[in-house]
Amino acid sequence: MNPLTGKAATMEEWLEHLKLNREIMENVTYWHTQPARPARTAPFPPELDPRLSAALGARGVASLYTHQSAAFEAVRAGRHVVTVTPTASGKTLCYNLPVLQRLLTDPSARALYLFPTKALAQDQVAELQELADAMKVDIKTHTYDGDTPPTVRQVIRNAGHIVVTNPDMLHSAILPHHTKWVKLFENLKYIVIDELHAYRGVFGSHVANVIRRLKRICRFYGSAPQFLCASATIANPREHAERLIEESFALVDDNGAPAGEKHLVFYNPPVVNRQLGIRRSSVLESQKLAALLLRSGIQTIVFARSRVRVEILLTYLQELTKREFGTKSIRGYRGGYLPKLRREIEKGLRSGEIRGVVSTNALELGIDIGQLQACVLNGYPGSIASTWQQSGRAGRRHGSSVTFLVASSNPLDQYLIQHPDYFLGRPPEEARIHPDNLLILLDHIKCAAYELPFEAGDTFGGEKLVDLLEFLAEEKVLHENAGRWYWMEQAFPAHGISLRSAAQENFVIIDMTEGHRVLGEVDRFGAPTLIHEEAIYLHEGVQYQVEKLDYPEKKAYVREVNVDYFTDASLAVELKVLHVDKERESPGGAIVRQYGELMVTAKPTIFKKMRLRTHENIGSGPIHLPEEELHTSGYWFSFSEEAAAVRSANDMQSALLGLANVLVHLAPLHLMCDPMDICVVPQVKAVHTKQPTIYFYDRYPGGIGLSQRLYEKHDELLAEAGRLIEGCGCLSGCPACVGPIEEVGLLGKDLALGLLQRTAGAAG
Amino acid sequence: MSSLRDRLDRLRAHSASSKADESLGGAAAEAGNGVSSAGAVGSSSRSGADARGSAGPSAGRERTTKDTEDKGISGSGLHPALAALHVEEVAGEYGSFLRRRAVYPLEHRHGHYVLSELIHCARRLKPIAVRQNRKRGTPAADALPEPMDIEAQRLLFLDTETTGLGVGSGNLPFMIGFGYADGEAGTFTVEQLLIRHPGEERAMLAYLLGKFAGVTHLVTYNGRSFDWPVLTSRFVLNGWRPSGVEPGHLDFLHPSRALWKNTLPSCRLSRIEEDRLGIVRGEDVPGSLAPELYMKYLSDGDASHLRGVYIHNERDILTLASLTVHFGGVLEGRLGAEWALPEEPEELFRTAAWLADHGGEQHAERLFAALIAEGTPGGRWLLPAAARLKRLGRHDEAAGLWERAARLAESRLLPSAEAHIELSMHYEHRRREPGIALDYASRALDLLQRRTSLRQSDRMRAELDAIRHRLARLRRKIEATGRLG
Repeated sequence: MNPLTGKAATMEEWLEHLKLNREIMENVTYWHTQPARPARTAPFPPELDPRLSAALGARGVASLYTHQSAAFEAVRAGRHVVTVTPTASGKTLCYNLPVLQRLLTDPSARALYLFPTKALAQDQVAELQELADAMKVDIKTHTYDGDTPPTVRQVIRNAGHIVVTNPDMLHSAILPHHTKWVKLFENLKYIVIDELHAYRGVFGSHVANVIRRLKRICRFYGSAPQFLCASATIANPREHAERLIEESFALVDDNGAPAGEKHLVFYNPPVVNRQLGIRRSSVLESQKLAALLLRSGIQTIVFARSRVRVEILLTYLQELTKREFGTKSIRGYRGGYLPKLRREIEKGLRSGEIRGVVSTNALELGIDIGQLQACVLNGYPGSIASTWQQSGRAGRRHGSSVTFLVASSNPLDQYLIQHPDYFLGRPPEEARIHPDNLLILLDHIKCAAYELPFEAGDTFGGEKLVDLLEFLAEEKVLHENAGRWYWMEQAFPAHGISLRSAAQENFVIIDMTEGHRVLGEVDRFGAPTLIHEEAIYLHEGVQYQVEKLDYPEKKAYVREVNVDYFTDASLAVELKVLHVDKERESPGGAIVRQYGELMVTAKPTIFKKMRLRTHENIGSGPIHLPEEELHTSGYWFSFSEEAAAVRSANDMQSALLGLANVLVHLAPLHLMCDPMDICVVPQVKAVHTKQPTIYFYDRYPGGIGLSQRLYEKHDELLAEAGRLIEGCGCLSGCPACVGPIEEVGLLGKDLALGLLQRTAGAAG
Repeated sequence: MSSLRDRLDRLRAHSASSKADESLGGAAAEAGNGVSSAGAVGSSSRSGADARGSAGPSAGRERTTKDTEDKGISGSGLHPALAALHVEEVAGEYGSFLRRRAVYPLEHRHGHYVLSELIHCARRLKPIAVRQNRKRGTPAADALPEPMDIEAQRLLFLDTETTGLGVGSGNLPFMIGFGYADGEAGTFTVEQLLIRHPGEERAMLAYLLGKFAGVTHLVTYNGRSFDWPVLTSRFVLNGWRPSGVEPGHLDFLHPSRALWKNTLPSCRLSRIEEDRLGIVRGEDVPGSLAPELYMKYLSDGDASHLRGVYIHNERDILTLASLTVHFGGVLEGRLGAEWALPEEPEELFRTAAWLADHGGEQHAERLFAALIAEGTPGGRWLLPAAARLKRLGRHDEAAGLWERAARLAESRLLPSAEAHIELSMHYEHRRREPGIALDYASRALDLLQRRTSLRQSDRMRAELDAIRHRLARLRRKIEATGRLG
């Protein structure tokens, strides 16, 4: 360590120095080291086109990593292939190599590349174009997305060898107009789907149906393309690929890329009030660690779970380090920044000009920002896969890297930080989809019928197609004639169907400080709580106040302000049971559980003004916005009269709340889903059951089968909840179990446990 | 898990309630009423359609197959409503479909124009065809000598009725209407192809393809971006592949917008017919209702729903012929000669400008002359007309128009300062009268400030800065001359 500048010569030196820092090390609950791994390579395959090997050679690539070679062989053998390797292991070559090989020998061949976002697509085109240029061959690669000018579109349709797009564009622009793409579909040899893990949950279920439609169109034009997929580490890559594509896949997961030593440091903020179980804010601790890294000259990425947190952390960090760096070298990055700004930040990170970046999981995907040295996770990202993915942003092929996982006070974080083996010993989550979800399936059957009439004997998805077609014919959406079903509505079905329910419509944020300038965007779900009138909207660390929210026009007008608070809005959620599909009573009759359809309405109510840094509440105001509706599936269980009778309403409230707090964190672990996918709501006297009830529901229109699994795992779930509460070392409730005393009361822990134990005969 | 059927039924209940909400919007409910009344009127009188024409069409019959392979909705034979329209079944290699044929003598008058004028006027449309069919890079453009002469007999006047909007692959043209002229026989024939269900589409398309033989251009209204792309898509869906040779286009939507965009409430074909072509439609099923009527027919088999659609489509095709005569006549220079000039100065200006753009500069000049004559009420045409004169180097005439525009601007609450600025430049650089130029510039500043007091924008700020700059320069100039003098 240079004593004058405080900068470390190497990461190893910095880590040694850190280990001497008592103040930090006191809070480190676990230090995990992954040893460095050497490269394992294979020679270029003999059939590899000499132009291709020459172009690779010119880039300093003299051999392939074993996984690249294995992928090449599998593709040449005609298999559908899914490659699973960590960040920065040269996975794009796994699909680019066989595609380019084919295009070099057969210029009429075509390939379609799908990326979940436009940004990723653009990176890819640049890389492919470079390779094609290096080979001096005329292989045309084009992105085809919403930004493609109409004049260029026709050229791409007819002459593009590789068309790079996203599932949304495929769904709403390419497939419904497939007759304009005859050249592509007739000659389609490869479909590349990268970031396969991103296609999970509702989005994945939609994409699986878009792929069904894509394959149907290919059959119509007589092509049977091979699918080449790549995924970040998940537990079930082959199964996921096979469910998404509905073909049998070869798995390539033998990573031959080298990696430097990797340190994963579990960091728990110190307890500041032992009795109440309150720890120092994870935001402040993350900021401290990040500042330490940045000041030592280490390029660092900080991940935060929400957009507001990104902005708050950014403000703090820029202020803390403004003497060392200008604000330009520490940047924020999140959905809602305009593409141009994002490109600029990505470039700055690659060149090293930007020393630090605070991001949401927007940077989790494979956007090319080069490899950083350190990563700070502000709070557990919600899943094991995301954690590895985010921490993979730090890590070079040579030399060490470090990731700090800074736990927040929420019970899930606390559980993980105290049980590192749980995290390290467990496989990453499975990616789940439910493409036969009736609402989703029906939507895509409509789109498919628009694209091509259905014929008797066709299949589409797992449900009985004929029943669905007849239903749509009865609804006068389709017209049946001689065993064929034709689209017979005036509407264009793909327009009304968005693959991503959360990001359906964006609100534009307009800065009126000087003229009119578009600042960024917020998706519809975020709008009520982020840009209600009087909200403080943070953008690149600058504060703006929302002066007017034009809800119908989806525009928010903001003006720059300088205040010492941020705003935090609350939502009131109402539940209505529409239909009960399943019901079961526990043996003693103390608990009745049900599964069915729910209507959830959410309405923002008030917002609080929170002082920066101390986070104290310094005022509040109402929010006047219409409510949002969600029609989904849910699972709920209620306690019988007897169980409820012995308690006052107040006690029951505490017990339910405590139990819900435990369940909300246990459920995602059991489902291996993102905590954002499922909601838990306790009600002392539910409208539907008239009993004390805890509801779970899928946070997506139509549901995606999460509540259904919980319904089936009910007993296990409650037993686990009991063990967790009992095993917690706190006195009377803490954030790691039933919640802090302020929330559940002094007796919350006992009440929750008591309720469980009294119904235990039934539950266990 | 409840059965698929149960879940579907619940889904239906849910969507039914949301549909009911939508219809409260009004449009859907009104449309429903419109359908039934139009249907009733349509079936009452057949002759209404051609009563205004000097000669009516005669229905032609050709290779009719009755009942043999008819899997049609009516069970056996054609529906009486179809028979009354002289619709017949045509069978071919790919199956059967329905065709209605009406042969008009060329002396037939449709609104202001007689069909026979087509033969002469079509030739004049070359500038439009050149403009609309250039630089498409298709082999057709290279294969055919261009510019190609337009012959009325090699035009196909085409209009389709489809089940939906847009050009996606799910939009089905259920009726394809087209017309063609035969100078020797002295006839204009309208054929309307209809499919009784989507399964008949291929047969209809094969028949249509035969009709493209010898056709150089499709005459349409918005056919370049609608009818033709839809048909191309249908050919592909039914197994044909683009050969690279396509007919050229004569799409009257763009010329119509050029002429009438600012003087007609809309550039819908029906509006142009009534207000500019002297065609009285009387009872008419609006084209936008056609999909709904066809779907009704599909679901109940009652072909009388289609009567209005047939009549509407036939009228549209005749109107395409009228438009051909109209634009041919305009390009020939008939306005201000055989035909009266447009009444509104704005339309006069737009017509003149369009003519100038289409190689009719000398005819345009006559129109411009009428326009800038004393007594023409001022309007927004003043500035572009002045700009044209300036471009032609006729600065003093331009100044005359600017002065009128400036007077007009000053009478407005929130005027534009463009005319004042032009005048200021004119007096500064051409007439070398910095005093007058200064006067205009300072009045321009006043006018602009009236606007900026209500709304600020970067563009306005830039304009203000430019005027202030100009004022300062003019003051310096005047001062300098003053000192010299």
